[in-house]
Amino acid sequence: MSRTDSAAPPEANPKVRPPRRGGDGPLGFVRDSVVMAWRWLVRMRTALYLLGLLGLETLLATVVPQEPNVGATVDAWRTGEEGPGTLVAGLIDLVGGFDVYGSPAFLALLLLLFLSLTACLIPRIRAWVRLVRHSRPPLTRNAGRQAVVARLTTDRDVAEVHQAAADLLQGKRWRVRTEDAATTNSPPAQVAAEKGLWSREGGSLLFHLSFYVLLAAIVFGQLLSFEGQRAVVEGERFADTPVSYWTYRPGRWWNETSHSGWILDLDQFHVDWVRDPLAPGAGQPTLFRSDVEVTRADGTTETTVIEGNRPLVIDGMKIHQLDWGYAPLVQVEVDGQLVYEDFVTATLTDAGHFRAAIKAPAADPDIGMDVFFYPYAPDNEAGEPVPTGAPFADAPLLLFQLFRGDLQLGRTAQTINELDTSQLDTTGGAWIREGAEVDMGEGVVVRFVELRRWVGFQVSARPQIPYLLLASGLLLAGLWPALYAYRRRLWVVAERHPGDGHTLVTVAGRAFQRPQTFDDEHAGFVERLADRLDASPLDADESSPATSVAAPAGDQGPGATP
Amino acid sequence: MSTDQLADLSRVLYSPVTLLLYISAAIVCLYSLTTRVGLATGRSGKVAGANLQPVGLALAWTAVGAHVAHEVVRGLAQSRLPLGNMFEFTSLMALVLAAGGMVYLTIVRKRPELVGFVMLGAAVVVASAMLTYAAPGPLMPILDTWWRSFHVSVIVASAGVFTIGFLFNGLHLLRDTAERGLAEAIGSTPLPAGGAGEASDGPLATMTAEEALAGRVAPDEDHDGTGLPVAAERGAMRAAISPLRLAIGTFLGASTVSWVFVATPTATLGDGLTRALTINLTLVALALIARWFVPFLPQASILDGLAYRTIALAFFGWTFGTIAGAMWAEQSWGRFWGWDPKETAAFLTWIAYAAYLHARATRGTRGRGAGWIGLGAFAVLMFTYYAVNLVFVGLHSYAGLS
Ligand code: HEM
Repeated sequence: MSRTDSAAPPEANPKVRPPRRGGDGPLGFVRDSVVMAWRWLVRMRTALYLLGLLGLETLLATVVPQEPNVGATVDAWRTGEEGPGTLVAGLIDLVGGFDVYGSPAFLALLLLLFLSLTACLIPRIRAWVRLVRHSRPPLTRNAGRQAVVARLTTDRDVAEVHQAAADLLQGKRWRVRTEDAATTNSPPAQVAAEKGLWSREGGSLLFHLSFYVLLAAIVFGQLLSFEGQRAVVEGERFADTPVSYWTYRPGRWWNETSHSGWILDLDQFHVDWVRDPLAPGAGQPTLFRSDVEVTRADGTTETTVIEGNRPLVIDGMKIHQLDWGYAPLVQVEVDGQLVYEDFVTATLTDAGHFRAAIKAPAADPDIGMDVFFYPYAPDNEAGEPVPTGAPFADAPLLLFQLFRGDLQLGRTAQTINELDTSQLDTTGGAWIREGAEVDMGEGVVVRFVELRRWVGFQVSARPQIPYLLLASGLLLAGLWPALYAYRRRLWVVAERHPGDGHTLVTVAGRAFQRPQTFDDEHAGFVERLADRLDASPLDADESSPATSVAAPAGDQGPGATP
Repeated sequence: MSTDQLADLSRVLYSPVTLLLYISAAIVCLYSLTTRVGLATGRSGKVAGANLQPVGLALAWTAVGAHVAHEVVRGLAQSRLPLGNMFEFTSLMALVLAAGGMVYLTIVRKRPELVGFVMLGAAVVVASAMLTYAAPGPLMPILDTWWRSFHVSVIVASAGVFTIGFLFNGLHLLRDTAERGLAEAIGSTPLPAGGAGEASDGPLATMTAEEALAGRVAPDEDHDGTGLPVAAERGAMRAAISPLRLAIGTFLGASTVSWVFVATPTATLGDGLTRALTINLTLVALALIARWFVPFLPQASILDGLAYRTIALAFFGWTFGTIAGAMWAEQSWGRFWGWDPKETAAFLTWIAYAAYLHARATRGTRGRGAGWIGLGAFAVLMFTYYAVNLVFVGLHSYAGLS
């Protein structure tokens, strides 16, 4: 028999036999089907198949862009601009591959997994409870035939040896049973002990049960969490009310009155980079920090900072600094009338410049502007600005394209930084430096008043986090013993030698997992016992015929307790 | 020393110094493995080259020392922990593979004869890190947090331990195939009469194939003689593994990961193909080398146990590291889990190894079945590591405030 480290529960893969007919007619059929389904779910092999399916779904989610994360890429795949083409994209859509974790197939799989988990766990828990309540270490009839055997001789008498062994084992938290020989036919007087019986299986149960806690915490979070986003320009403020967020994602049970109404003032945003183009990591950012002042619902104020990795917690809500950009203050006048004045929240593009759109429906016809902002565009010898992709605002330049016509506001879907130019006509473009203005003709004057920065804040409330941590803790606490605890038994059998008056002590053991580790543990115990008893080892050769072969003797099965 | 000098020193320490040390340790340890069993000269008497094992182990420890020195110097050169980019991850993975394997094989499990394979694995991983070499440099501030360092080091260390498990798993499958082949050879062909070996009237000489299979015949120190001459025994073991099938299988298996280099958007097609082919052929060569050593390996069940122990440890680490990653994500990006490619990949790897653990606990799939699932799980680990970093991140910028 080869040594394996882990013993499967013997009933792990029972055949799915149809039940004895419980009755005729449709009801009997339904009952039989349910019983069959349950028996199928209980099988270990089923759990393996389901895990395989979960793996396939997850592989799909790894290699295919996911709509909730990168919606634009998914659209590009669907139209064939990117990815493997429209045919494949259609197939992916068919199986819900663009939103794997929101697809019905995934939900069904999750349901099956949890059903299978439940079906597995109920009998395992029952068996485990029975084990914990009723099991006693079994006795051995022939200690010499166990997997690991050592023999000692000592002058002490049998009772003394058994007492010492029981003490030592109890000190190491073994479950110990001391038994005298009752009849000639019963096993010899001995100390039998067992350890690791509950913890391995118990750990595995705890590990699997923690998935229910995890699921409950996730569902709880879906219902009661909140997330909102908002960009704030330096020097401006933001109050926690439902209408002031730009994106607002409440859980199903999130209540508008759950906002406490704190106020956040953004005093200044600091950002810096490795500016030396020859230094290692040139161009990498080195600093993102917002200096803020918060006013809590109870009126107390506090001056503090928010950094990328240091969110601020106010009244149970977390404020993260997620995003930033430049915010030029732009004024647009038509015939001396101010039709637009605002900070434009320009966002970073892959090319290194920033983009935004200006929409001024107050003008007639509407004015729209496509804005390109270059933080660093120094003049060349001819006095012409040369745009670069550098991010630091040492020579800011605003480039724009002016449009007039109908902005189609409220009629077509457009984000704040996007113009719908279908009903607009361009009337030319221009560039301006900070503090300057440009006359675009037809009475239109555009002014770049000053430059600030904006910060994108995310505000979130996630009451599920403590429960998620609890689930993680249970999971890890169960996993360690499930993988590392090992079940083993020890027997100490002392016999008075009728001839020379010595006592012969046999220390036998057997491990169900991790036999090598157990060998060391066994040797350590033998040494300590020998110390206690002033005993000396008997020649090892004759004492252990079976150190490398686990020889299960007939009397040591779990049910063999007399 | 200036930072530039430190940077140069760290590079030299890495390649050639560490790389060559791993390779020489592998050669010496593997050579001593062939002499250790002593089949060549019978079971008694000293064997030429037997005392090479201590030399090999000393070389192996020196290699680990040089690797640690590289990490320290690199850390000094950039004044931060060397845990910032793919080169540094792969390098640390190799270090954990080598140091962890050494500690496990020489101190915990006392099987120093297998160190050669660990060194070979470390050499390959060290060399593969050169594919993504980056000079020392600073880290984005968003990445510079304690949680991240913790998360990344736990994940990378677990990946290193998974790699040890993969080595044992591969050896286990090879050895298992060889043992089956040997058992069949004994069962079906009559023994050569009067073969030059030990007495041929041992119990195994009369065994049927099934009995031999069940008893797992193993002609190394765990077992005294099958009755076959030593050379025939070795030949039968090797013959059980078709070199062509092994080579093709390894090539295809490696391709499940190496195509990523062809698909990398930042590399040219020729470059990518060269890399993929290099990786595939290196692995094929390693598989063939391992096949040659099959008669000198411990029993398949022992290798299976070693694989299980290491994978179990790495699985715990991976679980812990993934949870730490979620905590970092909550702290840095304000959401603990968003199914982005990296998170999805971590989850996928976790599922794959959970499947391995389940397979090993299931009647019918334990042993070979679990071994194959373990190989597959390692392919998933490597695929997600390279694919997500080189290909899919391009779809979606993960690491910044964007
Ligand atoms: C929800 C998905 C599941 C996951 C992620 C999972 C994961 C794991 C992991 C990682 C282990 C190894 C740790 C240990 O030994 O306890 C394990 C063990 C085990 N699982 Fe699951 N499991 C899942 C569902 C199930 C189901 C549905 C069953 C029932 C058929 C099951 C039965 C077992 C058993 C019997 C073991 C013990 C193996 C041993 O003794 O080594 N698991 N599971």
